[in-house]
Amino acid sequence: MRKASAAQRPAADGVATAAVPKMELRGLSKTFTTRNGTIEALAPCDLVIRKGEFVTVVGPSGCGKSTLMMIAAGLEAPTTGEVFVDGAPAGAAGPRRSVVFQKFALFPSETVAQNIEFGLRVAGIAKQEREARLQEQLAMMHLEQFRHAYPHELSGGMQQRVAIARALIVRPEILLMDEPFGALDAQTRSVLQEEVSRLRRVMDYTVLFITHSVEEAVYLGDRVIVMSRRPGRIKREIVVPKDAVWRGGEIESANDHADFNAARREVWELVREEIVRQ
Amino acid sequence: MTARASWWRGDLSTRRRLAISCFALAVFVGAWWIVTGPLALASPLFLPSPQEVAGTLVRMSVEPYLGSTLWGHIGASLSVVMSGWLLAGLVGLPLGIAMAWWRRLRWIVFPVFQLLRPVPPLAWIPLAIVWLGLGDAARISVVFIAALVPWLMNSMQAVYSVDALLVHAARTLGASERQILVRVVARTALPTLVAGARIALGNAWTTLIAAELLAASSGLGYIALNAARTLETGVLLVAMGIIGLLGALFSVGMRQAARALAPWSVRSGDE
Amino acid sequence: MNSAASHGPRRVAPALLYGTLTLAALLCAWMLATSALGLVDARVLPSPAGVLARAATLIATPFSGATLAGHALASLHRWIIGVACAIAIGIPVGVLLAWLPPVRAAVAPLFELLRFIPPFAWVPIAVLWFGASTTTQALVVFIAAFPACVINAQLGVSQVDPILPRAAKALGAGSLATLLRVVMPVAAPSAFTGVRIAVSNGWMALVGAELIVGKQGLGFLISQGQNNDSVATIFVGIIAIGVLGALIDVVLQRAQARMLPWTPPVAEGL
Repeated sequence: MRKASAAQRPAADGVATAAVPKMELRGLSKTFTTRNGTIEALAPCDLVIRKGEFVTVVGPSGCGKSTLMMIAAGLEAPTTGEVFVDGAPAGAAGPRRSVVFQKFALFPSETVAQNIEFGLRVAGIAKQEREARLQEQLAMMHLEQFRHAYPHELSGGMQQRVAIARALIVRPEILLMDEPFGALDAQTRSVLQEEVSRLRRVMDYTVLFITHSVEEAVYLGDRVIVMSRRPGRIKREIVVPKDAVWRGGEIESANDHADFNAARREVWELVREEIVRQ
Repeated sequence: MTARASWWRGDLSTRRRLAISCFALAVFVGAWWIVTGPLALASPLFLPSPQEVAGTLVRMSVEPYLGSTLWGHIGASLSVVMSGWLLAGLVGLPLGIAMAWWRRLRWIVFPVFQLLRPVPPLAWIPLAIVWLGLGDAARISVVFIAALVPWLMNSMQAVYSVDALLVHAARTLGASERQILVRVVARTALPTLVAGARIALGNAWTTLIAAELLAASSGLGYIALNAARTLETGVLLVAMGIIGLLGALFSVGMRQAARALAPWSVRSGDE
Repeated sequence: MNSAASHGPRRVAPALLYGTLTLAALLCAWMLATSALGLVDARVLPSPAGVLARAATLIATPFSGATLAGHALASLHRWIIGVACAIAIGIPVGVLLAWLPPVRAAVAPLFELLRFIPPFAWVPIAVLWFGASTTTQALVVFIAAFPACVINAQLGVSQVDPILPRAAKALGAGSLATLLRVVMPVAAPSAFTGVRIAVSNGWMALVGAELIVGKQGLGFLISQGQNNDSVATIFVGIIAIGVLGALIDVVLQRAQARMLPWTPPVAEGL
């Protein structure tokens, strides 16, 4: 496994951040004990994520990438290793590392507006401020007319937009996304992928994005981490230029570009090696 | 009926259904009237005519029977059932939630509960009478026991059925344990909790009537039993009718409450 | 299985340990309060030893008409009659209600009206019509068990995936054959669950009915205990009732697993 190839990339704020990465996963491994014995889900992994990077993690099913994310988010404890944010131990899960789940995880008893501002309400933020930020998110995610709807009344795509808005409104330092478009149909998925790519250019978030789709990983990620099959370890890392021409455009037209295809093919070969091995 | 239509058989339109239902009811009442009136198949002691029962109903509303008017007895029954049911809710609801949330508590309390569960609530009446006498306290205790089981079990089930993912999501948004429990778990579990309350009320009502047959000096069960002993079948039928009507009202009322409290769970529930 | 409540790794040991310890602790407290420290009058709460002694006496010598076994058998006898009738009538009715919409429309209102009258409310009128006999009690059991049979059988049939009877028809099956050989097996688990509920309801109702009227049975035993101020007798009766009730349910669960192996697993364990 390799750490991110060094400091050629200038950080968004102009200051070299090579010294203190935004998030560091050091020696993370996870072993489960079940009735049928122990399962080593994750072999020791190291990963460094710098501020402003969009890191995608891709690998065969069951390779432990979701487990990696849950540990990074602080929702599960690793068997060995530690998670650091800004150089200090990350501690329990919280809004600094907010999460978007594959199954949306919207609170069924709350409206869209209530869901989105949940993080602000529990933090005790004043009503005016909440309303202002809520408006911002509703506009950004094209949800204005659905403010008062309940999750079960919305389509999958809309629900995931709400989930993204909910995660972004708390101004996280890192956004973690666990196969967020896996439960959506193909068209909705494309639309949301393009939106995330566009948002990224505007907002410049630090993102850790888990996916099983190679195309998605290359389209969205600056650094594509390929994981091996179980027990998952980081196999290889491919760097994709952040300001490539096809970023933010339609994902179908990205397929017309040689560099996109080359990167995609490279990643796919690595993943296929892992699938074939078992 | 609660069950969905059998699609492949094709359900009838609402109008036809209503028509058939009304017709069936009319046939029933008509048969009742014929059997007791012109045909005189049954002695009025066994089955009084519909008019007689209606008349008795009116009479009991104004004249006292065995101590109070019909309204007085209804009030007596309601006060006992409500006390027992609410008390059971006060204990069972928080305890059930706590037991689902904290493993250790569950390990301690559940075995005791499982041991006591197979015993029908009514079987506790003699014990309650010996310990607490023939007054309201004995009846309230037995109603309490009857209502406690659904309150507790349903509250536990309600919390169990909340998707763990929601708790994760709330955690990542910065909610504390208490906030998660109150804002997310309790609210999401609300429809199931209300269903538990409804079942508890049904149990409580059933047990109350039985308790009144054994150890009471007022209430609907009490007058029913006495009317049977003194062969006043009209009174008996009125009492039974009101008992059934109140039971139905409780059930319908709680369903409406569920809809009001949890507008997001609009799916038609099961029984 | 993704419950929010704390499940932790599935180790049975701690739960068993806590449970056993708690029950043991309660038992000790009971013994202390009654025999050892004599905190409570033996007439109000007999000691565990007292209850056991009473149980032994009841098993050996008749009390109020029969030994413990005699009373238990009398109770079971009535219960089986009532439950058998409820199943024999209830399940076909339930199936019919789901299968024939006109029948459902006709019967529904009456059923709904009568359903909310608790079984015990029928005791006075049953006594009036049949006297204080086995029929009365079997009737109460029947009334208690009937609704669950009907409702669950109906639910079972109406929730069968409509594609199955269509497939049967496409293979040339007639209506009756479809009902018997395709729909009913699929509906059977739900109906069986209804039977289990009905059976348990019936048992509970029986005890109550015996408390109110009767000259034999476990419920009668308890009320006699009350009349004779023998709390130990009451305890023995309650334990017998609880044990039998639990046994019946366990037997039925096993039977369901054997007879209907295609029953989908339910998240039981509660």
